[in-house]
Amino acid sequence: MRERIIMPLLVIVAATLAAAMAASQSAPPTLPDIPNPKVVVEAPEIGKFGGTYIVSSISDPRTFNPIVAQETSSTGVTGAIFEGLVEQNYLTGEIEPGLAESWTTSPDGRTWTFTLRQGVRWTDGTPLTMDDVLFSLEAVFTDGVQTSTVDLLTIEDKPIRWRKVDDRRIAFMTDKPVGTFLRLIGSLDIIPKHKLGDALAKGGAEFNKTYGIDTPPREIVGTGLFILQSYVPGQRVTLLRNPNYWKVDRQGNRLPYLTRYVILIVPNLEAARLKFLAKETDLYSARAREFAEFKQGEQAGNYTIHDGPETFSSEFLVFNQNPTGVAPPKLTWFQDVRFRRALNYAIDRKTIAEQVYAGRASPAWGPESTGNTLYYNPKLPQYPYDTGRAQQLLAEAGYQKGSEGLLRDAQGNIVEFIISTNAGNTDREAIGNIVRQDFTKLGIRVTFAPEAFNTLVGKLTGTFKWEAVIIGLTGGIEPVTGRNVWLSSGSLHMWWPKQEKPATEWEVEIDRLFERATAEINQNRRRQLYFQYQEVVATQVPMMFFTNPKTQPAVRNTLGNIKLGLQGVPGELETLYQKTTSRP
Amino acid sequence: MIRHIVRRMLQLIPMLLGITVMSFVIIQLSPGDFLAEIRLNPIVSQETVDRMRTNFGLDQPLHVQYLRWLTNIVRGDFGYSFAYQVPVLWLVRSRLFNTLLLNIIALIVAWAIGIPIGIHAATHQYSWSDNLLSLFSYVGISTPTFFSGLLLLFVAFKTGWLPIGGMTSLDYDLFPWYGKAFDVARHLVIPVMVLGVLAVAGLTRQMRANLLEVLRQDYVKTARAKGLAERVVVNKHAVRNAINPLITIFGFELGGLLSGSAILEVVIGWPGLGQLILDAVVRKDLYVVMGSLVIGGVTLVLGNLIADILLAYSDPRIRYD
Repeated sequence: MRERIIMPLLVIVAATLAAAMAASQSAPPTLPDIPNPKVVVEAPEIGKFGGTYIVSSISDPRTFNPIVAQETSSTGVTGAIFEGLVEQNYLTGEIEPGLAESWTTSPDGRTWTFTLRQGVRWTDGTPLTMDDVLFSLEAVFTDGVQTSTVDLLTIEDKPIRWRKVDDRRIAFMTDKPVGTFLRLIGSLDIIPKHKLGDALAKGGAEFNKTYGIDTPPREIVGTGLFILQSYVPGQRVTLLRNPNYWKVDRQGNRLPYLTRYVILIVPNLEAARLKFLAKETDLYSARAREFAEFKQGEQAGNYTIHDGPETFSSEFLVFNQNPTGVAPPKLTWFQDVRFRRALNYAIDRKTIAEQVYAGRASPAWGPESTGNTLYYNPKLPQYPYDTGRAQQLLAEAGYQKGSEGLLRDAQGNIVEFIISTNAGNTDREAIGNIVRQDFTKLGIRVTFAPEAFNTLVGKLTGTFKWEAVIIGLTGGIEPVTGRNVWLSSGSLHMWWPKQEKPATEWEVEIDRLFERATAEINQNRRRQLYFQYQEVVATQVPMMFFTNPKTQPAVRNTLGNIKLGLQGVPGELETLYQKTTSRP
Repeated sequence: MIRHIVRRMLQLIPMLLGITVMSFVIIQLSPGDFLAEIRLNPIVSQETVDRMRTNFGLDQPLHVQYLRWLTNIVRGDFGYSFAYQVPVLWLVRSRLFNTLLLNIIALIVAWAIGIPIGIHAATHQYSWSDNLLSLFSYVGISTPTFFSGLLLLFVAFKTGWLPIGGMTSLDYDLFPWYGKAFDVARHLVIPVMVLGVLAVAGLTRQMRANLLEVLRQDYVKTARAKGLAERVVVNKHAVRNAINPLITIFGFELGGLLSGSAILEVVIGWPGLGQLILDAVVRKDLYVVMGSLVIGGVTLVLGNLIADILLAYSDPRIRYD
C-alpha cells in the first residue's frame, strides 16, 4: 500500500524535474518583443549587469556614419552602434546570423536569401524593416558616397543585385556563384532610413556629411549594443547600454551586461600606456617589447597580460618587377625567381623577431598569417636563414662575388639597389637595417633610404620608380578580399600593378586560383585553393614576408568573460562585464 | 588712430593672400595627398580612390582649387575637412575654447608672477635672490615644453596627485558646476605650469633688463634726489617707463594664443587646436590646414595691432598718424 503511494509520487516528481530541466536546457530563450533573440554561447561566464568599460584610442572618430567610416578610430565607435545582416564570430572567424536570423543559398550558389530577425527596433523605437536594408544597399551604391563597401559588394566589376521577396526576406543575386558572399554582405552596416533618407536623396556628398561628428548624439540611432551618449572632441566618446538589444546570454538575460562603454582619446601610445597603468582604462594593447615588463607588473597593476595570437598583418620586402619603373640589369635581377629565392634565404628572420619584436613574432613564409587559423597553410616551402645556401643559389644563377667582395651578375654588373620604407615607422626601419646587413653579407651593395609615407605611396601607386620597398598591408580573413594585391590587374599588385595580361605563368595561376576561390562556396574546397595560392606565392617569392607579430593585450582583472579571439581581441562587448561594479 | 587701425587691417589682405598662396602651393606640390593611406588599403579599388579625388576637387588644376577656396573664404565658408566631413569652422570651434582657456590662464599666471619677480630682481641686482631667479630663468627658458610636459606627466603618474593629461575626468558631465570648474582646474595645473614657467622666465629677464636700464636714467636720480620714497620711485616712475617693450611682447603673446601651446597640447592630450592642426598637416587635410593658417595669421596681426594701440595709450610720445 505504501509502495503504491510512493510510486506515483516518484513518477510525478521525476516528471516535474524532467520538465523543468527541459525548459531550462532546450527551450530557446525569448524576449517579450523579440521572439527569436540570438543566444551568445561563446562567453564562459554568466555576467553581472552594470559597470563601465574604458578603453583608449589614439585618434578621434572621424564620422559616426558607418557606411563612410574607414579608420578603426571611427569603426570602433560605429561597430558598437550599427550592425550587419550577418556577423563574424570573433573566436573562429566563422559567419553567424546577425540582424538576419537565417539564410538560404540556391543550389547554383548565385542567389542568397536572408530572413530579417523579428522585433528588432532602432534605438529611437522605430522598428527595423526591410526598407532599411534596401536603403543601406542603395546608399552604398549611390554615386559620390565615400565607402569601401562598394568595392566589396562589386564582384568582378558587376555590382550585386537584390530583390525584396517579402517584408522579412531579401534575395541577393550574382552572375557567378560567390563563395565569400556571407562575409562580403557582413561588411554592409544597416542604417536607419527614417533618419538618413533625406540626406541620401540630396546626393552622395550630402550623405557623406550626415552622421558626422557634429551630429547631436540623440540623432544617431542604431540597432547595436550601445547608444551614443556624448562625444567630446579630443577627449572621449561615451556610449550607454541599449536596453532593447536583441541578444541574450545562455540563461536568456538580455545583453549587453555593461552599462557604459567609454573610449578615451589619448594623444599617443605612451599616454595610453600611462592611463592603463594608472588604472584609468581597462585594456591596453601592449607592444611586443613591453611584454616582459608588463608581465612583472601584473600583480601590482591588477591586470593580466595575455600571450595573444599573431595579427593578420605582416611586413614584407618587395622588389619592383615593373618595366616602366626599373630598367635592366636591375629589372632582370628582380624578375629572376632564383635571385629572389636566394635573397629570401639571406633574411635572418630570427634576428628580426628578436630585435624588432622582442621575440614575440613567428617567422612568415607566405602571405597569410599564422593567426588566420581558417586559411593559413602550414606546409609552405620555407627559407630558413642560410647565407651559404643563398650564395650557392646566386652562383647557380650566374652571380659571382668579385675579388673586391662585391656581387656581380653574369654580365659583370655590380649588384646594388635601394631599399625604401616609410620614415617614422620604427619597426620597418629596424627591419630594413637588419635586411641591409643580411644582403651586404652576400656582397650586395644595399642602400637603405626611408622616405616620407606620402612620397612612398606616390611611387608605389603612381610613378612606379622604386627598386625595393619594405611595407605592410592590412589583411582580412578571406584572402580574396585582397584581390587588389594579388590579381595581376590589381592596383596594389605591388611588384607590377595593373598588368593588361599577366606577365608570368605563376601570375596566371594566382589569377585563376583567385577566380576559383571567389566562386567556391564550399569552405573546405576554398581552403584548398587558398593553400595553393599561398604555395605559389611562397615558391615564387614576389614578396618576402618577414614575421607575423604576436599580440599581447593587457586586461584589467576586474573584467569578466575574457577569452582571446582572432588577432588577440580579448572578448566581446556583448558579454564583457565588470566583476566588481564599483564604478557606476 | 582710427586711420592707423584701418591701414593695418588693409595691410592684412595682401599679407594673408601671400601666406595662403604660398602654403597652398607648398602643400600641394609636396608629394602625396590626403588619399595616400586609402590607396594602400587592399580592399579599396582604384576607381573608388579616383572618385574620392573628384569629390574632394583634388583632380582640378591648382589655381582652380585655390581660387575656389578663396572665393568661399570671402563668403565666410572655410570649406570641409576631408578626414572628418564636417565644416572646418566646426572643427576649429570645437577646440578653440580649450586652447584659449589654457593660454589665457597661462598668460595671466605668467604676467602675475613674472612682472613682480622681474622688478624684484632689478631692484635687488646681484643679490642671492636675483642670482637664484636668474638661474631659474635660464633653466626655464632652455627647457622645451614637450620635455617639461612629459616630466610633469610622469610625476603626476607616480604620485597620483594630478590627472595624467586630458582636460576633464570621465564623470565630468555628472558634476555640479563647481565640480566641473574644479575638475578643469586640476587638469590645468600641469599645462599652465609648463607654459607659465617658460613665459615667467622670459618675462622676468625682460623686465629686469628694462628696469635696470631705466633705473640708471637721470630722472630717476632726480626723483630720488627730491626725496621720494624708493617704492614710489620704482613703481610710479621707473616701472611705468620700463613697460613699453613688454607691451610689444604682450602683443606677440596675444597673437600666439591659438598656436603657442600646440606642442604641449599634443604631448599631454589637451583637446585644443594644436593636435587638430598637427594631424591635419600630417594627413594633408588641406582645408583644415589652410583654415588654421588664416586664423593664425589674423590673430597674429590683431595681437600686434592691440599691442600698438596699448603702446600709444601707455606712452603719449608714440603717435601713429
